[in-house]
Amino acid sequence: MSKIVMRFTGVGGQGVLLAGEIFAAAKIKEGGFGIKTATYTSQVRGGATVVDIQLDSNEIFYPYAIDGEIDFMLSVADVSYQQFKGGVRDGGTIVIEPNLVHPTDEDRKRWNIIEIAIITIAKEEVGNVITQSVVALAIANTYTKALDKQLLVDTMLSKVPKKVHELNLKAYDLGEKYATEAMAEA
Amino acid sequence: MSATREIISSGNELAAIASVDAGCMFFGGYPLTPSSEVMHVISDLLPKIGGAAIQMEDEIAGVAAAIGAGMSGVRTLTATSGPGISLKAENLGLAQMCEVPLVVINVMRGGPSTGLPTRVSQGDVAQAKNPSHGDYKSITVCAGNLAECYTETVRAFNLADRFMQPVFVLLDETIGHMHAKAEIPTVEAVKAGIVPRKTFDGAPEDYLPYGVEQDQPAVLNPMFTGYRYHYTGLHHDGSGFPTEEIETCRKLIDRLFQKVEKYQDEIELNEEYMVDDADILIIGYGSASLAIKEAINMLRKDGIKVGMFRPITLWPSPEARMHELGQKFDKVLSVELNQGQYLEEVQRSMGRLDIAKLTKTNGRPFSPKDIIEKVKEL
Repeated sequence: MSKIVMRFTGVGGQGVLLAGEIFAAAKIKEGGFGIKTATYTSQVRGGATVVDIQLDSNEIFYPYAIDGEIDFMLSVADVSYQQFKGGVRDGGTIVIEPNLVHPTDEDRKRWNIIEIAIITIAKEEVGNVITQSVVALAIANTYTKALDKQLLVDTMLSKVPKKVHELNLKAYDLGEKYATEAMAEA
Repeated sequence: MSATREIISSGNELAAIASVDAGCMFFGGYPLTPSSEVMHVISDLLPKIGGAAIQMEDEIAGVAAAIGAGMSGVRTLTATSGPGISLKAENLGLAQMCEVPLVVINVMRGGPSTGLPTRVSQGDVAQAKNPSHGDYKSITVCAGNLAECYTETVRAFNLADRFMQPVFVLLDETIGHMHAKAEIPTVEAVKAGIVPRKTFDGAPEDYLPYGVEQDQPAVLNPMFTGYRYHYTGLHHDGSGFPTEEIETCRKLIDRLFQKVEKYQDEIELNEEYMVDDADILIIGYGSASLAIKEAINMLRKDGIKVGMFRPITLWPSPEARMHELGQKFDKVLSVELNQGQYLEEVQRSMGRLDIAKLTKTNGRPFSPKDIIEKVKEL
């Protein structure tokens, strides 16, 4: 498999870090190399947060995504979308939460911008806003086809408490469903 | 090679796990970004094995508690970032003077002062050499990848007991927080490598903890075991009591240097990456070396042969090896996330000033592209 580079962005406190750890761990379980690096600000909440995820069959030394090499970005906050979108390669896919992120017309020409109401789905359909990172995980994997679904889901379940397994499975299924629908529309 | 295992983790977490595997039984500290996870993890691990972790009221008390634990004979840790080291400095000097073994993890962030709390830097390299006033010889190791967050922490505990002094482990925000797979030694292999610190088992009235040969560290029996002696930051004689006697004072500070300098081969550790056939040499350490390796691989695809020399032990510096490399390479580039703190050591060791430098102090990591561009300018 060639290298897949993903970037998740949000604001501090939204919990985008977990999805990155799950991706990296699942890739390693598969026998490859996965690495997650997070960058955040000194604001406890509200500062722009970015998580870079690299998955490769070869060893990765440099832990950050290199600008221009990012295949897929997901963003749930405008401040971090604006700051970090420049790293996505031309023609790459950016999934945004349309209630919170506002791309320009130029952006829509440069990248394949997909609108999925990630936070609304987590809050209203899954029933817990914290599950947004699992909704995001499902969307990212549906688009990038980075990893075998079962491997990713098993890894995810190993990282969340047992009592919320059902909830997170529901979050994954919904994320996958909305991503598949969005891909069909495109 | 000894047996290994794989862990998926972050650098800070690996350093905490390494401490416990290396026999650390006490942590005293205060949480400081970006080092806090070291404390979080070890606070969970130590009570389970009968150890203790204490969050003290501030950085100063944190290191003081750790030094106290070291005096009682156990392996002990404190962890912080640069601003915390500034606060701990006086007590670190006390530990140097009293020869109390202690491991100090510094996960470096942007400075000076409170600087850039969540961003990467290698700005505390000079500080680690001389954090407090007075003369002594620092031992400082610096992890350049996730596995070394584990192995270098283990090594630091062994060096601290061997040389009876604080040992610094430098990580930085990038390496402390990056999360991936690390191949590390098994707990059994680590345990097998532990050499307990020396003790005196003669008659208590004959015990002189600091009355050792000029190239040897103090022999400090754990407190409360029937051997009475004195700790002081003042110049002291063999018994530990203060003195201003001319020869005793001279010999004490000489010994703090000689106990390290004479055994540098036990301390020095370097990595040489594609140096053999290289035309250009880069010197870098810590997380900067990750960008350097990526850059070297890319440059070699373009036919530009670059190699890297990476000191893993920063202090004492590998001056002899750097001197040899300085003779061999015409073009040398020093890469570090500060304004050139180690560059001065490279210049001194190589005996030349014409070392190119690439530095960055805005809290952002080097990209491999930064390094490629600089190499192409040389």
